[in-house]
Amino acid sequence: MNKRELIKLANDWFKFQSWKSFAFQKESWNAFLDGKHGLLNAPTGSGKTYALWIPIVLDYIRQNPDYKTKHKPGLKAIWITPLRALSVEIEQAANRFAQDLGSQLTVGIRTGDTSQKLRAAQKKQMPDLLITTPESLQLLLSSKGYEKTFKDLNAIVIDEWHELLGTKRGVQIELALSRLKTVSPKMKIWGISATIGNLQEAREVLLGPESEAFENSVLIRADIKKKITVRSIIPEKMETFPWRGHLGLHLIDEVVPIIRKSRTTLLFTNTRSQCEIWFQRILQKYPEFAGELAMHHGSINKETRLWVEQAIRDERLKAVVATSSLDLGVDFAPVETIIQIGGPKGVARFLQRAGRSGHQPGKESVIYFLPTHAMELIEASALQKAVKNTVVEDRIPYLNSFDVLVQYLTTLAVSDGFFPKDIWPEVKSTFCYQALSEEQWEWLLNFITQGSQTLQAYDEYKKVEIEEDGLFKVNNRAIAMRHRLQIGTIVSDAVLAVKYLGGGYIGTIEEWFISKLNPGDVFTFAGKNLELYQIKNMQVIVKKSKVKNSRFPSWAGGRMSFSAQMSELLREEMFVASELEADSDVTPSTSAALGTGSVESSLELQALTNIFKRQKKESIIPKKDEFLIETFKTREGYHAIFYPFEGRFVHEAMASLLAYRISLLSPITFSLAFNDYGFELLSDQQIDMQQVFDNNLFSPEYLMDDLQKSLNSTEMARRKFRDIAVIAGMVFTGFPNKMIKTKHLQSNSQLLFSVFRDYEPDNLLFQQAFRETFEHQLEEGRLRLAMERISEQKLVWKQCEKPTPFSFPIITDRMREKLSSEKLEDRIKKMMAQWGDL
Amino acid sequence: MGRPVASKMTKTLSLYNQNFTLHPSGAMFWEEEDLLVISDVHLGKVSHFRKFGSAVPQNAIVGNFQKMNEVIAFFEPSKIAFLGDLFHSSLNKEWLLFEHWLENISAEVILVEGNHDIISPLKYEALGVFVTPEIVLKNFLFTHHPEERHGFFNFSGHIHPGVKIRGRGRQQLKLSCFFKSKDQLILPAFGEFTGKHILIPQGDDEVYVVTKEEVICLND
Repeated sequence: MNKRELIKLANDWFKFQSWKSFAFQKESWNAFLDGKHGLLNAPTGSGKTYALWIPIVLDYIRQNPDYKTKHKPGLKAIWITPLRALSVEIEQAANRFAQDLGSQLTVGIRTGDTSQKLRAAQKKQMPDLLITTPESLQLLLSSKGYEKTFKDLNAIVIDEWHELLGTKRGVQIELALSRLKTVSPKMKIWGISATIGNLQEAREVLLGPESEAFENSVLIRADIKKKITVRSIIPEKMETFPWRGHLGLHLIDEVVPIIRKSRTTLLFTNTRSQCEIWFQRILQKYPEFAGELAMHHGSINKETRLWVEQAIRDERLKAVVATSSLDLGVDFAPVETIIQIGGPKGVARFLQRAGRSGHQPGKESVIYFLPTHAMELIEASALQKAVKNTVVEDRIPYLNSFDVLVQYLTTLAVSDGFFPKDIWPEVKSTFCYQALSEEQWEWLLNFITQGSQTLQAYDEYKKVEIEEDGLFKVNNRAIAMRHRLQIGTIVSDAVLAVKYLGGGYIGTIEEWFISKLNPGDVFTFAGKNLELYQIKNMQVIVKKSKVKNSRFPSWAGGRMSFSAQMSELLREEMFVASELEADSDVTPSTSAALGTGSVESSLELQALTNIFKRQKKESIIPKKDEFLIETFKTREGYHAIFYPFEGRFVHEAMASLLAYRISLLSPITFSLAFNDYGFELLSDQQIDMQQVFDNNLFSPEYLMDDLQKSLNSTEMARRKFRDIAVIAGMVFTGFPNKMIKTKHLQSNSQLLFSVFRDYEPDNLLFQQAFRETFEHQLEEGRLRLAMERISEQKLVWKQCEKPTPFSFPIITDRMREKLSSEKLEDRIKKMMAQWGDL
Repeated sequence: MGRPVASKMTKTLSLYNQNFTLHPSGAMFWEEEDLLVISDVHLGKVSHFRKFGSAVPQNAIVGNFQKMNEVIAFFEPSKIAFLGDLFHSSLNKEWLLFEHWLENISAEVILVEGNHDIISPLKYEALGVFVTPEIVLKNFLFTHHPEERHGFFNFSGHIHPGVKIRGRGRQQLKLSCFFKSKDQLILPAFGEFTGKHILIPQGDDEVYVVTKEEVICLND
């Protein structure tokens, strides 16, 4: 069949379904059948699966004219999805077309949830289309004879590429593709991405800069405009709106009518504990929802998650409280309403969540935003504008992630082994490692074979061995097994499986939470109150409990930061607010002349009137040309709060930089806190603010140099190092549900960090921790731009009597960094002297 | 005797008319008996990790021996007692370094066995190291695990004691320490690649934190 005939097959099938194909779908079919690689920019629910699955099937038909009678077995296409939850959807869509055409093509899923039995069967005979995750793809590369498995691979599709780009999972994909380009010469590479700021770069990262694939590729835009409406949930009385907090439970009564009114509602929370608490509280206050309300997050067992997903499709549930585990493209057609609880931190993320509802093309999506504290109302107002102007962020790809490369090289050594001269050009061709030097490459090879750069007589380091012919290979079975179990770049705390005493797996829970409980204690997990019975063999054994008061596990998760775009919108809102009259009788018609035009004050800003009044009583709301600094004293010590409104990441860097520069003036110790609005330097001594001004400490001069030095005086790199140490295989986190003794190899990454600092500070992986700490802030030059902006602003220093509404969420934040230029011995003695009055 | 065994960086305790000097390294010196006491060195731990594919810096191995040499040079003891967990794991090549190190030690060496000490006592005895479950001398009992025994003051290790202290401005520090209760003193872990376990002092407990330069009594 020629191309025209093939495409007619697809068109006929579409007609038979009474569907109309979109231009972007046809464009993708044509490009694929012409042998192109590419990136498809299409939102969820637009039919993107058929845009690429169809030409894969057509291509097979073209190559096998007797496809209806003779099935040619073997892996032909891989579909990578970042979330296991998505795989079922894709499988159904793929099967439908493949079967209707009588193609005999088989579809299979392989993820962390796949049973051992099915995996073994797949190994013997791969399905024609394999739907899998980045981690499972790496695992395939770690199995013997993988080259044979992939040799007839015709296509690989990376779905939700925007979610992977800008993470180390994206780097894993880059590396896997660099290998597959060699072992699967016929492979066409396609990515699917939602709209992000740097789509062109996304294509370059996917295909490799200046690569053959990149030269022979296209970027296809779906150009589907979706109407999104944002509604803020604002309480009747603003007096009761809390100044801080992140749960938002005070608005539970406003949420319930929305759920009632709508057919199906998804409530997105930002953390798993928030998810558990909301679920529990709704049921407590409104027991009539029992059986109609469910919960979905990553720690809950697979069966429950799958059941919930199916129940949404079947409209058996009224509402689901979820975390980002339901974030991505699950095509839940019946979902009518979305509620976002707490700030989504980024416009793209918010838009994507909004897109979960009203899936049919052309339908309006409604998303409710529930601010958890007063300041988030400003965020709500900013989001309204973001949606109106469709502002979207860039996703910044990682560069030179040595940890992921160490893991990857070990993976190759675990399977068939590798020759460095073959792998070096492949690695070098990726976006992430394009600047990797030969010295660094040598260093990494030494690291995986010797565990160091110098060979010492008594050393017994064992991992990758170099065989006589120069093949790099792992021969020790125990090392190979440990490595396979550790493959991945999402680092979590050590987790334990939670099971009922009578059997029945409920999910996994972080070890540090459980270690704080004693047998008999009651905690809430997966929406159930459970009594801890005992901890045995890496398993938490529990019984059901009727006790009402229980503890909620909190899962440590990375905190997100406002993007540059979001920050800018937020500043704009701030300036509008600063122009508003402080009177409480502001009407919607009140507008303020600002910059280029007249800006309406939003409902959200009006709701904030009382808070603004309070802020202005103690301090000011900064105008466009003002940079606000507040100082005050509490029982805790001397607070200095700075408000750049640049987002958390930039504030982290700026706080560290400023604290460092001040600490050079005289010995001082700081505790640093930051949020998306500003940052705090807290000390037991008063900061001489006049000195800060006189010495021009906000100067953008020597920025990088000072920042580097400030890093050495803070603890920030420690946290980054933890992930790097795990990814590079230096720390074992243990395995839930697997009876493998690793206790003797578990070490604290803090301890490891100290040993590296004292004994091997030039280790590339140790250095990476420092680089990564600020990498994303620095790459965009956001910090420099912010410093330059500030240097042109008027510094307004307010010496306040007590904490202001703006400062409150920052000073009450308990997640802090520290920086000190005092001698340890002096600090101890000073603390001892303070004990009397603490 | 007659050489200086105390300095600005150490602290000396007097118990039952005997003098015990606490050193910033975590070691302790019993003046009257000319005995240096060291606990929880965990030799072999770095090599153990490396053997299983975790690339802990190998220089840390040398660090432990250097640290021992320094404290021995400072006190010049005629006897050295290790309060258990001298060797972290089963035999590995760090044992050879230990053998070599012992050749240059003129002091008599005693090992009070700890839970990690799984290497055969015969191996130690072949090197002239005396292995024993405990040492009883005058009013003092030396064990690996902390123990209460009537009429004795107990010196032990095992716990890797540390304390958390707080100051104004949300400051806090976690430090290794000598932890003293009524009839007991727990030594900090001496080894380089060892963690610490935070204890909360009660009533009459005395805490001596160690920094690189100093021993500081928090009860002063």
